[in-house]
Amino acid sequence: MHESSDENWNYNFLKRLVDDVDENRNLLQCIDCGRCVGECPATKISKFNIRKIIRQILRGDKTVLKESDIWYCFLCERCKRVCPRTGINIPILILNLRNESFKKGYGPRYDDLTKYFEMAERFLTSGFVVNNPLDGILPEKRVKELDRICNFARIKYIFDAKYHHPIKLREIFEHKKKKNKEYRDKNGEK
Amino acid sequence: MEKNKLALDIKKIEENFPNNPLEFFKGKKLCLFKACLEKYFPGVRFGIENLLEALGLEVVICENQSCCSGPFFQRNLITRAQFSAINERNLNEIDEIADILLVSCNGCYNSLLRGRDFLKIPEVKDKTEEILKDLDNHMEENKYTEQFKNFDNIDLKIVHDLDFIYLIRNEVAKNLKFDLKGLDVAVHYGCHYLNLDRDKDMETYLKNKTKLEELVALFNGKLVDYSEKELCCGWGASQLVIHPLEALKITYRKLKSAENVKASFILMPCPTCLYTLSKPEFRMKIEELFNDKLEVATIHLNELIAILRGCEAEQCVSLRRQSTRINLIYNIITNNE
Ligand code: SF4
Ligand code: SF4
Repeated sequence: MHESSDENWNYNFLKRLVDDVDENRNLLQCIDCGRCVGECPATKISKFNIRKIIRQILRGDKTVLKESDIWYCFLCERCKRVCPRTGINIPILILNLRNESFKKGYGPRYDDLTKYFEMAERFLTSGFVVNNPLDGILPEKRVKELDRICNFARIKYIFDAKYHHPIKLREIFEHKKKKNKEYRDKNGEK
Repeated sequence: MEKNKLALDIKKIEENFPNNPLEFFKGKKLCLFKACLEKYFPGVRFGIENLLEALGLEVVICENQSCCSGPFFQRNLITRAQFSAINERNLNEIDEIADILLVSCNGCYNSLLRGRDFLKIPEVKDKTEEILKDLDNHMEENKYTEQFKNFDNIDLKIVHDLDFIYLIRNEVAKNLKFDLKGLDVAVHYGCHYLNLDRDKDMETYLKNKTKLEELVALFNGKLVDYSEKELCCGWGASQLVIHPLEALKITYRKLKSAENVKASFILMPCPTCLYTLSKPEFRMKIEELFNDKLEVATIHLNELIAILRGCEAEQCVSLRRQSTRINLIYNIITNNE
């Protein structure tokens, strides 16, 4: 990484981001060739520059967590394909950065999160992200299983973000459950 | 990256059944993974289901399968262990009723393999096991904990519809009523098929990224190359929802590039890409933003095969929904006889 000298590298931040992700064990071996940037769709439409982000990480510069850039990655995996190195998985790195950003309470913007509300709600009440899926919704018992697996996950807190009110949230859940029950009764679930 | 045991080893099937790979699938139960976006394109499901049945294969659908949960993992709304637990739940349910799982969507396909890849990380594997244990306790069962002990040895194998159709292409070709004569076809693989790195450092059946081109030639069509062939469709793990104005630039660039070479249609193996590249609202927005009305048609491989096989008009109705100019393509193909 030619813009950083050994003195201003700081591995702690990097370690936290890649520690348990074997796929990023070689991030330090990035040769700054720029192939990932050249083929990146996010770079074509925004200020997003993955080389710059990697440099910030290697310097331990945590302001990257506050910047909106990290929310522009398409997770398209193109960079991974064209990177001459092995052991560098940028989409997973981006997901880890976003996770850290969430934990610090930075991003994404509140409005962005509410856009996921409906699909999250459909998943936790019917097992699919679309309304009226092609083969009908998941049996009730299986929906309960999904709900249990997702315990304490962020997916459950979007509801609050949208409605600001836990009682309202419960009402929505109950209403949805009732509608799903009617659907199942009508369609003869065993 | 080491080979994912869950993926069907097509090379081996080609070696063992050189004359007719279809023989490998005879007597086996083939499950079709329920991709959420098939809802908008029922022809994607119909196309493969009807083909398999016509070839004398047994098709099953798993009632207990949920969404792959990839959209939530990609948005940091569930952890890797939760994602893997949802994946294992699905795989186990499907394993109970089927031998092979066919997947029509790049996103679901990638999720199914990725959920498994994560289990190579000891920390994620332990957490996944904990979640499944908790689930069993909660449901007063011992189902998933038991199955997880042996997760790497389940018999189920998965295959992308494109790889499957390519494998049995000669049998498919024998079953076609029409061909693509006179049509200029552009192909789009979609990022989560094209950019898979599972094949980057090794020779696997996934490595060959010319399957769509070869199928077009086999079906007598003319392949047209276009500069943005490898560009993302614009969906970008919900970039079209989060940053719609920016993401639509990518969709526009892609469609425009295919239109510039006068492609009759863009052929793809993924309903999510199809949704992005076809949705009338997106096309309208593109017209508004770039003052350019794009009309290039789009179609999923499974839908195309149904048309080429001459499926009943009513069954083909769903194939035509939501796709600009697809009626015209349909008429050209069915008049090609
Ligand atoms: S995964 Fe992200 S960083 Fe990599 S090429 Fe795609 S948009 Fe760019
Ligand atoms: S392609 Fe790989 S080695 Fe080259 S700059 Fe990008 S991450 Fe570094």
